[in-house]
Amino acid sequence: MQLYHIALNNIRRRKAKMLFVLLGLLIGIATMVSVYGVVEAMRTEMTRQVAKFGANVIIMPDAGELTFSYGGITLPAVLFDVEQLSGEDVAAIENIPSREVIRAVAPKLLGLATAGGGHPGDAEGQNVVVVGVNPQQEFMVKPWLRLRSEEEMYSESGNNTEGTEPAAEKEMDFAMLDLAREDLSRLVLSDEQILVGSNLAAALGVMEGDLLTLSGREFQVFAVLKDSGSAEDEQILLNLSAAQALLGRPDQVTLIEMAADYSLGSEEVLLAELQEALPNVEVTSLRQEALRRDEMITRLVRFGTSVSVLILFVGMLVVGLTMSGAVRERTREIGIFRAIGFRKADVVKIILLEGLIVSLFGGMLGYFAGMAVAYYAGPLLADMSIQVPWRLDLFGLSVLLAILISLLAGIIPARQAVKLDPAEALRFI
Amino acid sequence: MAEVMIAMKNLTKVYKSMGDEVQALRGVSLNIDKGESVAVMGQSGSGKSTLLSILGALNPPTSGSVEVDGIDVYALSQEKRADFRREYLGFVFQQFQLIPYLTALENVMLPLTTVKKSNKEKREMAGSVLCRVGLAGKMNRLPNQLSGGEQERVAIARAIVNEPPVLLADEPTGSLDTKTGDEIMALFQRLNEDGLTVLMVTHNPENTRYMSRTIIMKDGRLCTDKAELLQLVSAGKR
Repeated sequence: MQLYHIALNNIRRRKAKMLFVLLGLLIGIATMVSVYGVVEAMRTEMTRQVAKFGANVIIMPDAGELTFSYGGITLPAVLFDVEQLSGEDVAAIENIPSREVIRAVAPKLLGLATAGGGHPGDAEGQNVVVVGVNPQQEFMVKPWLRLRSEEEMYSESGNNTEGTEPAAEKEMDFAMLDLAREDLSRLVLSDEQILVGSNLAAALGVMEGDLLTLSGREFQVFAVLKDSGSAEDEQILLNLSAAQALLGRPDQVTLIEMAADYSLGSEEVLLAELQEALPNVEVTSLRQEALRRDEMITRLVRFGTSVSVLILFVGMLVVGLTMSGAVRERTREIGIFRAIGFRKADVVKIILLEGLIVSLFGGMLGYFAGMAVAYYAGPLLADMSIQVPWRLDLFGLSVLLAILISLLAGIIPARQAVKLDPAEALRFI
Repeated sequence: MAEVMIAMKNLTKVYKSMGDEVQALRGVSLNIDKGESVAVMGQSGSGKSTLLSILGALNPPTSGSVEVDGIDVYALSQEKRADFRREYLGFVFQQFQLIPYLTALENVMLPLTTVKKSNKEKREMAGSVLCRVGLAGKMNRLPNQLSGGEQERVAIARAIVNEPPVLLADEPTGSLDTKTGDEIMALFQRLNEDGLTVLMVTHNPENTRYMSRTIIMKDGRLCTDKAELLQLVSAGKR
């Protein structure tokens, strides 16, 4: 016979009361878990969506009022003629303290070149926009960029695909957004290779493997980009160094696009550090939309936390009141324990043990109930297409919280029990 | 000369309630020898239950002292007094006072709960005491599955499982029929013969037959009126 035998037997005897305590804890914990689960899933989804936007910081020369639009980004028109950003600026970005926040840095040089002369019948003397980039970084900040496989190319152009095998190393069809985009390591262009936008490829009549002359220099089409509905459909991408050589603008950079992950650090700090590292440029954050959503999530977290705390508090009251009532009912029993030699601490242990046992179950069941609600009702509650993952780390937290609540709720009943006069309890007085 | 087991000196107890004072004990002094069995009789309100609770280390006297086996009980701290109760005293309460959700065996094991012994040892000790009081076959029954006499036996087994030197009983036959009451008194007598010092509060003069001494309480004092004593003792012998 140990103290826990007494606690367990009493729980068995007072099933209805203990069920009440269990429910109090279960509802409190379940609310907390479900709110937390849904909010976290929403946050992940938001981050995913924000990441989908690609670049969220643009660094441009601090220029005059004449503007030029590039893919929705407003550029000073004079940029094409004036050297303002350079490789040094790109290096400066790599050295800022918050560099771990930066997922990708994509410097680029924009310019015009004359395309044609690669094949008989090609368009002669057509001006095309060439963009010098670091292809891997560019694809990181523009998750919508894909390479068209040979197969697609042929079927689209109506050619016979017989005898042609798609080159495996060029099949970078990222069906789902993959922030890591490990396949990008295979996207290595030599200075004689180019990527051609889909519309432009059609206009120029080029496909993968073809040769194309740009301003008198011959390049090989490494791949054609898939239709994306973006500015890249009309452009030619090539290595930054190759573009600098082609355009005769060594070491020049027109603008730098960056993808920052603000879950890893503060946006304000990053922007401040960028501005400090590059004093004569304009640093623009494209996070307004993301911020608005972030604010919504923050409000939701606050609301969810308040509701959870409130419900947990009510749960604690229910547990405390039920335990207190149980102590009052057991006055005589506690008197007997004391009379036959139980110390006050032993009586306290029995009361708290009972709470502990019930709270263990309350915490566990509350976790499963909360996760189930979040899993099944989460997408409805959030009005978003979210997938709430089963969070095992919350399991331990739920049980710990339930134990903490029962211990806190048990303090008053335990004090009541300790204060009981055994002589009075046994009606000697 | 017999060794004194319990020495009460000049005990007084005053209860205060709503500004009123009730004098429950008015200077009681009494010695009980080792191995003696004493019946305490008296009318309701005479102070006998108060005397028992003070002797049981449950109710500090307003003044005076209680020594059990040479230990000044109320000089001990509250927690030490709990240890003292466990080691020196066995209690048989009015109406058995068994824990309803524990079996007979578990009820008897209760005083051993906080003792450092293995569960097996505790089980063996409780089982042997239950055999001693004649309940060998009913160890796993809950109190509500036992008769009044059997419940009383469980209560007695619980009081002696720790092998205390002193057994205190409060109206142990109060809720039993005459035959069962006699059996229980015979059990007390046997325990006393085995060396236990017994002090029993009772209303029933018949019970005094089984005890070596009877004291009468009246208005918070020990009664010394010989006529009253004789009357009670003769009632007990009828």
